[in-house]
Amino acid sequence: MEQIKNVIVDYLKANSFMDKGTNLEDNDSLTQKGVIDSIGLLELMDYISEKYSIEIPEEMLTPENFDSLQGITNMVKKLAK
Amino acid sequence: MQVVEELNVQIMEKLNRDIENLALNIRSFIKSQISSFKKKGVVLGVSGGIDSAVALTLCVQELGKEKVYGILLPEKESAPSSRTLGTEICESLGVQYEEVPISPILESLNIYEKKEQIIKRTCPEYDPRIHKTSLVLPDFLNQGLLNVPYIRLIKDGETVAKYRLKANDYLELIGLQGVKQRSRMVIQYMYAEKLNYVVCGTTNKTELVLGQFVKYGDGGVDLEPLADCYKTQIYALGKFLNVNEEIMKRPPSADTWSHYTTDEEFYWRMPIHVMDQLLYSQEHHLPLHIIEKNTGLPRDKIEKAQRHINKIRDTTEYVRATPPIYYLNR
Repeated sequence: MEQIKNVIVDYLKANSFMDKGTNLEDNDSLTQKGVIDSIGLLELMDYISEKYSIEIPEEMLTPENFDSLQGITNMVKKLAK
Repeated sequence: MQVVEELNVQIMEKLNRDIENLALNIRSFIKSQISSFKKKGVVLGVSGGIDSAVALTLCVQELGKEKVYGILLPEKESAPSSRTLGTEICESLGVQYEEVPISPILESLNIYEKKEQIIKRTCPEYDPRIHKTSLVLPDFLNQGLLNVPYIRLIKDGETVAKYRLKANDYLELIGLQGVKQRSRMVIQYMYAEKLNYVVCGTTNKTELVLGQFVKYGDGGVDLEPLADCYKTQIYALGKFLNVNEEIMKRPPSADTWSHYTTDEEFYWRMPIHVMDQLLYSQEHHLPLHIIEKNTGLPRDKIEKAQRHINKIRDTTEYVRATPPIYYLNR
């Protein structure tokens, strides 16, 4: 679980609008905190799909699954099983 | 008294109110802008849609048909009805018009070929001989899904497959599609400068707020007479001006895909009367219970939709921005 979260945080640090000093809590909204915009979200989906070799079904493309570290981690865990 | 009125506000009624006066005010705006620019008339791109039909009619009423020049700018993927309806409105108003197909420009830049390549790598079974294509976003109100673009394959009018676009492909596609509107802008200015006219825009307020236009494409114009009118008001103007019923009934579309893709499917993600009521509510800071009463939507859906609209507004800030100037002495 922690490992997935760290991978996502590293990705966001390198590829998003997140400042180096930003402290991201597990349930913080990535869009409301200005970490990613709509294009950033698509890039993140591509990264996750490739990194974990998963197909994300349309019904899982919800704000609940993508707008926080916790949501993303839970979703990856579910799909990578 | 004002508070009581605000509590009972009927948004659709407000948007449909006093349309005659609105038409007169827009007409006088058009005239004063043209004279302040010291130009002699207007060039207008006629798409066969409601916005350009309303703008064209108002220009003709104010300036006279001799000072308005219509240009039809079809391309290979335009719906045939765009040409028919565009021609019809120009002829019914008696304005001079010309058809300038933009396909040769797009072909010279390999736009169609590049687009085909993206569609092929996104949709493995794509066959251009049998499929039409469109770019869509999931419905917002009923599905609550993210703003994720899909290419849809259509065969004999039926959707047969749908594939999510990768970020890089989406960005390239938006750039390719934008060449269509930007080519139209280039041609409109070629005519406007020859005639010493201005180029009149047709963007409405719904489109402006949502960034639903191409920067330096359909947004590249000299004046925007409709940009403070929500789409709902454009329909009211169309009705008042007796715009052709077929144009009034035609679902709005940027008309840049081989399958006619409506603005509701790609931009609004909800019916226009709901989108306009939400935008109006935000503009006028209306309380939630009033929005609930007007839209019939539950509170949580309204709040979600408002956050969604705020996000769109933020991400399209760049589209609306004029180039920032660095001033030496400030």
